[in-house]
Amino acid sequence: MKLNIEGLLVYFPYDYIYPEQYSYMLELKRTLDAKGHGVLEMPSGTGKTISLLSLIVAYQRAFPLEVTKLIYCSRTVPEIEKVVEELRKLMEFYSKETGETNNFLALALSSRKNLCIHPEILHANIVVYSYHYLLDPKIADLVSKELAKKSVVVFDEAHNIDNVCIDSMSVNITRRTLDRCQNNVDTLQNTIQKIKETDAAKLREEYRRLVDGLKEASVARETDIYLSNPVLPDEILQEAVPGTIRTAEHFVGFLRRFLEYLKSRLRVQHVVQESTPQFLKDIFDKVCIDRKPLRFCAERLQSLLRTLEIADIADFSAVTLISNFATLVSTYSQGFTIIIEPFEDRTPTIANPVLHFSCMDPSIAIKPVFQRFQSVVITSGTLSPLDIYPRILDFRPVTMASFTMTLARTCLCPLIVGRGNDQVALSSKFETREDFAVIRNYGNLLLEMSAVVPDGIVAFFTSYVYMENIVASWYEQGILENIQRNKLIFIETQDAAETSMALEKYQEACENGRGAILLSVARGKVSEGIDFVHHFGRAVIMFGVPYVYTQSRILKARLEYLRDQFQIRENDFLTFDAMRHAAQCVGRAIRGKTDYGLMIFADKRYARADKRGKLPRWIQEHITDGSLNLTVDETVQLSKHFLRQMAQPFRQEDQLGLSLLTLEQLQSEEMLKKITQIAHQT
Amino acid sequence: MDDQGCPRCKTTKYRNPSLKLMVNVCGHTLCENCVEMLFVRGSGNCVQCDTPLRKSNFRVQLFEDPTVDKEVEIRKKVLKIYNKRDFDFASLREYNDYLEQVEDIVYNLTNNTDVENTKQRMEQYQRENRDVIQRNKAKLTREQEELEELLLLEQQGNEQRRLEVLQEEQRQLQAKRKNKQALLDELEQSHVPAAILLAKHKVRAAQLETQIEQQKQTVKPASLFSTGIHMNQTVSLQPLPRIEEVLYQYKPLQVETYGPPVPELEQLSRLGYLNHVRAAMPQDTAGGYTSALACHRAIQDAFSGLFPQRG
Repeated sequence: MKLNIEGLLVYFPYDYIYPEQYSYMLELKRTLDAKGHGVLEMPSGTGKTISLLSLIVAYQRAFPLEVTKLIYCSRTVPEIEKVVEELRKLMEFYSKETGETNNFLALALSSRKNLCIHPEILHANIVVYSYHYLLDPKIADLVSKELAKKSVVVFDEAHNIDNVCIDSMSVNITRRTLDRCQNNVDTLQNTIQKIKETDAAKLREEYRRLVDGLKEASVARETDIYLSNPVLPDEILQEAVPGTIRTAEHFVGFLRRFLEYLKSRLRVQHVVQESTPQFLKDIFDKVCIDRKPLRFCAERLQSLLRTLEIADIADFSAVTLISNFATLVSTYSQGFTIIIEPFEDRTPTIANPVLHFSCMDPSIAIKPVFQRFQSVVITSGTLSPLDIYPRILDFRPVTMASFTMTLARTCLCPLIVGRGNDQVALSSKFETREDFAVIRNYGNLLLEMSAVVPDGIVAFFTSYVYMENIVASWYEQGILENIQRNKLIFIETQDAAETSMALEKYQEACENGRGAILLSVARGKVSEGIDFVHHFGRAVIMFGVPYVYTQSRILKARLEYLRDQFQIRENDFLTFDAMRHAAQCVGRAIRGKTDYGLMIFADKRYARADKRGKLPRWIQEHITDGSLNLTVDETVQLSKHFLRQMAQPFRQEDQLGLSLLTLEQLQSEEMLKKITQIAHQT
Repeated sequence: MDDQGCPRCKTTKYRNPSLKLMVNVCGHTLCENCVEMLFVRGSGNCVQCDTPLRKSNFRVQLFEDPTVDKEVEIRKKVLKIYNKRDFDFASLREYNDYLEQVEDIVYNLTNNTDVENTKQRMEQYQRENRDVIQRNKAKLTREQEELEELLLLEQQGNEQRRLEVLQEEQRQLQAKRKNKQALLDELEQSHVPAAILLAKHKVRAAQLETQIEQQKQTVKPASLFSTGIHMNQTVSLQPLPRIEEVLYQYKPLQVETYGPPVPELEQLSRLGYLNHVRAAMPQDTAGGYTSALACHRAIQDAFSGLFPQRG
């Protein structure tokens, strides 16, 4: 259908539209008009992707000078494929409606493509790729150099974007890395010797270039500044390489010293935590390495590898990692911390020294994106509470909106089970994990649900260790045997092949009616990427609150940093993180308005206002006061009732006018009024 | 590092992990015991390269590669002499050239190439730039001190903030407890029906919650003045322009009265007005009060009330 959104003509390739899709497009248009950033939360399975694409393509056609490119960033390759599908449909619709072939070029980049796509990107109107190509400073330089300012960047499924930013700027160095680096440095030295004997001119040429201050990669351009090396001011970027590392031999000696220093640091017997200035001071004291040459380390290494014409760069990954680390540690004095652990917490007897250089401030990696592009939209199904994202990513959005699903029939049923039948409180709190009664009650819950819910149930635990403990106890108590009489049980492990096999068989069991339960973990691969539509996921059970391992030192450093810089309390942040994962997990079951599912939160802590308030609005709406602290029996009762209701035939005509609209219905007065109320501005 | 053995008494290192390896100026290692034994007379020759060595020049090995130890030692010595900073040079290029020179010197000394020449060059440089070296020595230590200060300030700031947050939480807990206690007391003592008390209590609790929420949203303590100047920045103010102005001249107030002139304060007692006024008590006079003051005031009022003569 053809829509008119505040004067903009939008081609929408379907005959029916959801009211929230319309409001979403409205908010998006307003964000683009204001040339600012936006945070939009829309429930999963409501056609977010096609709304985004159709609005932005329409905007591009209407104002080709305002929005030159759309950069769509997604997390995984399957998601990128889905986007390309929708885009294809949209383009077909366009050519059918307008009768002309449009010359829109869309480019999708998936992983492991090292092709130089420079000229093609300049001409493409839409580019689809993964987050990392924009956020990771090492890769952004290669791929995203040419992107102009007047582009719109969309981060889809961006609820984890702060973790992505942090990971892209963090480095972990183990003893093995250093040993491999040592080999690399020795190889470099030998290669330099050989080249000196055969073709010294190349090295001289490089030397001359470094002396004159010409950098390899930066021929001045009329377009804009780069994305890599975020916080450095321009003068430093354009500076010449310092004299201490000009010649190849001096640079190799420099690398050797730095490497030896790192080796000596890894030999500590106790945990060390320090800030970057302290680390730099120590380097200077021990091996007389200054800050400035460290900063140019990565660049100098690249230049050297090119001059020596090393064909297989992958062999030198260790020394590249170390030089990246050197550049990072010398560039940023705030927002990073260095933690050296002689062994892992859980295995104190195995010597495994690691140096964690961890970024605590996600805004560092994403700041250049917000500054460079005029409109950045962050969208996902689970972004609550919305105001936390602008705070930790340090940007000011012009729109922050959360949308709900308009439903003709309530197709989700969130229930909070707080007690077992014996009134024992259910919780995955650390103190109650070994409690026999709690484990038995959890088993009872799963057993009862397996008898009541048809087809597939997905159960999420807070961690692999916890899951293993519980399953072992269940086996001993004989609960597993009883469950297996009702449904088959599959389990997710840390091995990718095993998990995909388990998933496949789970789906087969759901298809042919035997029914199955999939036991998985809240931060695992299943919860992040797999959708359980219709009969594959009729119920999702969240056992406990999926807090991250709170004793890790890196996490503690990060919480402290958040508290000092952004005034975010530690508890609030941990709860926010746990709840967004929980919401992600339960959101797997609903993928569309005809889909229905039970969402069971099996922990008494979910009933508390601070946790409930952090669930996305479209789930919170359906939690009634009566479903707050149920026992297992009451849960089973409510589930039976819900499932029977949902199993009644539900046709499209029932939805029309309420949750599904045709063009005429859309344009009626009252509908437009309702639509403006859907977006809840926070 | 623990896999390295002493090149002389090889077995001893494996059996005794607490044994230390020492490095000397030639870059070869020896374990502590061997050093003791071989250099009992204070000087001797290196086992591997036969260079004459002193016992005092042995240092504990910090790095796995003894050549790196050697290089670091040499570098420290060289940098003591070649300690010019970037502001001593006219352009960045000259500074970089100077740095490269230093690297060359260290490289030569470490690899034992062209040692004589290099040493001569060093001595010449030292002679020529003695005063610059002295000056920069003092400066270098000052910079390190400043860095230390910064780090210390950082730490103190963090401590303070943490304490503040803790205190704030304590205060909130106290407030909540007091509220609860107040409710219990009220229920005990007052005659108002319990439902109303409970409602009032709920309202108060809600108010407390909003207060706490507001406090949580407190804005970061300002680090910028509204003009954009940082709070710690020392700003040199321009001298204010002097504006010459005319000085103010005091003119006493003239009051017009109709009729006889108002008697002055001092004349009042002579004229007898004070006989009709209550005399000031000793306590009143201590503060400086005299009855003449009140009298004068009353007389002024009276005289101001006189109307002009008709006609």
